[in-house]
Amino acid sequence: MQEFYEGLAEILEIPAQDVHSGLDLTSHTWDSLAIVSTIALCDDCFKVMLSSQDLMKCQTVADIEGLVSLKRAA
Amino acid sequence: MPQAKIMDISSHLPVHTLSNEELATVFPDWPAEKILEKTGIHCRHIAAPDETAGDLACAAAQALFAKGKVAAEDIDFILLCTQAPDYFLPTTACVLQHRLGIPTHAGALDINLGCSGYVYGLSLANGLIQSGAASKVLLLTADTYSKFIHPMDKSVRTLFGDGATATVIAATEGGAGIGPFIFGTDGAGADHLIVATGACREARSQQSAQALQDASGNWRARDNLFMNGGEVMSFSLTQVPRALDAILRKAGWSIHEVDSVFLHQANKFMLDALRKKMKLPLEKTPVRLADVGNTVSSTIPLTMQPLLDLNALPAGSRHVLIGFGVGYSWAACTITF
Repeated sequence: MQEFYEGLAEILEIPAQDVHSGLDLTSHTWDSLAIVSTIALCDDCFKVMLSSQDLMKCQTVADIEGLVSLKRAA
Repeated sequence: MPQAKIMDISSHLPVHTLSNEELATVFPDWPAEKILEKTGIHCRHIAAPDETAGDLACAAAQALFAKGKVAAEDIDFILLCTQAPDYFLPTTACVLQHRLGIPTHAGALDINLGCSGYVYGLSLANGLIQSGAASKVLLLTADTYSKFIHPMDKSVRTLFGDGATATVIAATEGGAGIGPFIFGTDGAGADHLIVATGACREARSQQSAQALQDASGNWRARDNLFMNGGEVMSFSLTQVPRALDAILRKAGWSIHEVDSVFLHQANKFMLDALRKKMKLPLEKTPVRLADVGNTVSSTIPLTMQPLLDLNALPAGSRHVLIGFGVGYSWAACTITF
C-alpha cells in the first residue's frame, strides 16, 4: 500500500505523508492526466486495470481502494 | 523467397513549431516545465494551413531520394499511411506517384491507420517483396492531427505533432530480414480515439462544430479529435506487453537477444508505464519525443532514423517494433539489419 500512496502523492503533487484513505481527491488536481496516471499506478501496484469512467467518479482515496478490491474479487 | 530489408529512412517536419512556453500561455495551470515532465515533449511541429499530409510525405520522399541510396525511378510500389488524406478521392499515394516522378508501372495505395500503421506498412511491403510483386517499396507515413485538434484541448494539443517519414524497403540476399509479424484489432475501442465527423457516417455541420467543455476543462467539438486517455492507457497496458511476448515467441527470440524495442512514441508517461510493466531497461527502448511529440504512424521511423544515419543499427543487430493505438489496432514485428 505504501508504494500506491507514494505513487498517488506524485500524481497529485503533494507530500506522500498527506495521502491517506480519507484524502479528498477533488480538492487536488484530479483531472484526465491524473486518472491516466492512476490507471497505470493501479496496474503496477495491484495488477488490476481500472476504467477511467469509474476513476472519474472517485471522491476519495478510499473510493479508489474500493474499486481495486472489487476488481480483485471479480 | 527473397527477404526484405530497410534500406534507408528519411523524414520531413513542418517548419512551424509549437513550444511548451506557448502552450503554457493558453493553459496557465500547466507550466512549460510540467508539460515537459509529463509528456517528455519540448515542442511539436505543426503543418501550415495549406500544408497537407501529402505535402509532408512528398518532402520526406524527396529527402530520401536526395540521400542517393535510392532514386525515384527505382520505386515500384508506394504505400502511404495517413489518416489525413489530401482528398476523399483520389488516393493520395497516386497523387504522390506523379509528384515524385515515380514510374507509372508502380503500384500505389493508401493505408488508413494511425499509430500501428508503420508496422502494418512494413508487413505489406515485406509481403510485396517476398511474393516477387515488387522489388523496392516506398513506405510513407504522414499525418497532420493538428488540423483535427481544438486549440483549447490540452489533453491532445500538448501531445500530437505533425510530420512524415519515407522508408525504402528492398529485396536482399544477405542475413537481414523483416518479420515475423503479429497483429491485433479491437474495434470496441473505436470511440476512445476518434474524429467523429467529416466522413460519410456524420457530415460536418454547425451543430457538430459547437465546442463543449469536458470535466477536465478541455474544449472540443465533434469535429475535433477526441481521445479518452484513460481507456487508451488501459488498452496499451493490456495489449502491448502481450504483443511483445507474442512476437518474441513467434520469432523464437528471447528478450536478451534483442538489441532494442522500438515502441510507438505516444508520450513519456505511457512509455514509462509500458517500460516498467515489460521490465525493459531504458537503454533498450529508444525514445524520440522531445523535438517532435506524438507523430502517429511516423513515431517509430522518426526514432529509428537518427540511429540508422549514425550506423547505430549495425548489420546483424536485432530489433522489435510495436505500434499501437487508434482503432484499436496494434502490430509488432522483428527486424534484423
